[in-house]
Amino acid sequence: MISELKMSASDQNQAPESLHTPADNTTHFGYKTIDKDDKVSMVAGVFHSVAKQYDIMNDLMSFGIHRLWKRFTIDASGVRPGNKVLDLAGGTGDLTAKFSQLVGRQGSVVLADINSSMLNVGRDKLRDQGLVQNIDYVQANAQYLPFEDNTFDIVTIAFGLRNVTDKDMALRSIYRVLKPGGRLLVLEFSKPEHELVNKAYDFYSFNILPKIGELVAKDGESYQYLAESIRMHPDQETLKAMLDNAGFEQTTYKNLTGGVVALHKGYKF
Amino acid sequence: MPISSAKLNTNLLLPQALAASLEALINKVLALESANTSFEQLANKTLTLVLAELGFGLSFTVLERVTADKQTLMVTSLTEHADCTITTSLSTLRELKAEQQLTDLIKQDRLAVSGDIKVAQQFAHIAQHLAIDWQSELAHHIGDIPTHKLVQLAKNISAKVGFAATQIQADASEYIVHEQRLVITKSQIELFNHQVSEVNQQVTDLDVRVNRLFQSFKRPVN
Repeated sequence: MISELKMSASDQNQAPESLHTPADNTTHFGYKTIDKDDKVSMVAGVFHSVAKQYDIMNDLMSFGIHRLWKRFTIDASGVRPGNKVLDLAGGTGDLTAKFSQLVGRQGSVVLADINSSMLNVGRDKLRDQGLVQNIDYVQANAQYLPFEDNTFDIVTIAFGLRNVTDKDMALRSIYRVLKPGGRLLVLEFSKPEHELVNKAYDFYSFNILPKIGELVAKDGESYQYLAESIRMHPDQETLKAMLDNAGFEQTTYKNLTGGVVALHKGYKF
Repeated sequence: MPISSAKLNTNLLLPQALAASLEALINKVLALESANTSFEQLANKTLTLVLAELGFGLSFTVLERVTADKQTLMVTSLTEHADCTITTSLSTLRELKAEQQLTDLIKQDRLAVSGDIKVAQQFAHIAQHLAIDWQSELAHHIGDIPTHKLVQLAKNISAKVGFAATQIQADASEYIVHEQRLVITKSQIELFNHQVSEVNQQVTDLDVRVNRLFQSFKRPVN
């Protein structure tokens, strides 16, 4: 069931206040409030639709900067040969490709995504690059990770957490599968630090981004959802508090590109 | 309030942008390498370079196998784990052309190495022995005759630029030294130094004579 909040044209870029605190059995899908049970299938619908054009859209939408954000994540991960890495919501495998080369033969990387279409695109892409020896593919929901306790040295989730229905549950699940000493890195859109950047970013997200989606991926609605879901995602401090609540220690975050994106990091000890 | 270089680096992602550009460039160059340099010995080895001018480190990791898109080397700013770390400056790095210079620069404290020095030597050896036939590579794209013409043109331009640079240097020297008399010539400095040395010698001789004279006055008269 979808209950859509009616907004005037001038309000369209504003995240509705009433949607910030949904009732227990509801959650957000962009600016819409929906039943929690419906979110997985609705998000799946978005990503099934955009999977094939996902990489090219990322390059177009971010002017290629998403590659630098992902490099920053890898640099901050402290990955070393022999590590076991879980690339959660790994999609088309950008992080997995780099991790696979850095952990070497002794290490391993699990590319996990809830969406089969994204996982298929990622698997095909990595195999075409000749990256086969140390990568496993798992279709998994971040809230119910199908791995034993204390399995991974590093877990990353890049541009995936905001699509998860119950983020707190996902963070607890990630905490469980991390080894003591392991770390989680959450790369996600966030709140720009300066108001001017915020306004320019809003204009771009709600007026240009859906049009690029319409032109390239033939799916403007999915990119409208993308813009809305970014606004509904917790800001830097809130997400840091969520990591703390899940049990992570020494939690920090770094704003990238003026806070358009933030990298949160937390350790399990 | 001034923005710290670390915050600027984070916001502008300079280390990542530089790493990505270098990675693309180096892999492109290595793909053109005609001597098929073997990286087997360096597989999975990481060399980290910390340059004083940059303020951050860059790590070069040789991949276990060349990927389908001909990637041999990965460049990151991960500096926690490296088989060898070189800390130096860009100007010193430019001097690092001959293998024996590595040892000389370490002795002069202009370059610090930690970890396995053989890794650094192997990287340096590969860099020094790259055999790339640029003309042949260019000919693949634009054809033999245009390549020949372009190379001739480049050589001519290079010779003319070299000649112009020498001329400008000579003219500037003439203007500064002889016309404006802002700087003196090397021979003038040498003459001045020679004269100072002569005066110094004369003063020393005089000092010796004066001392002798004093000594003769102090001697008791028999």
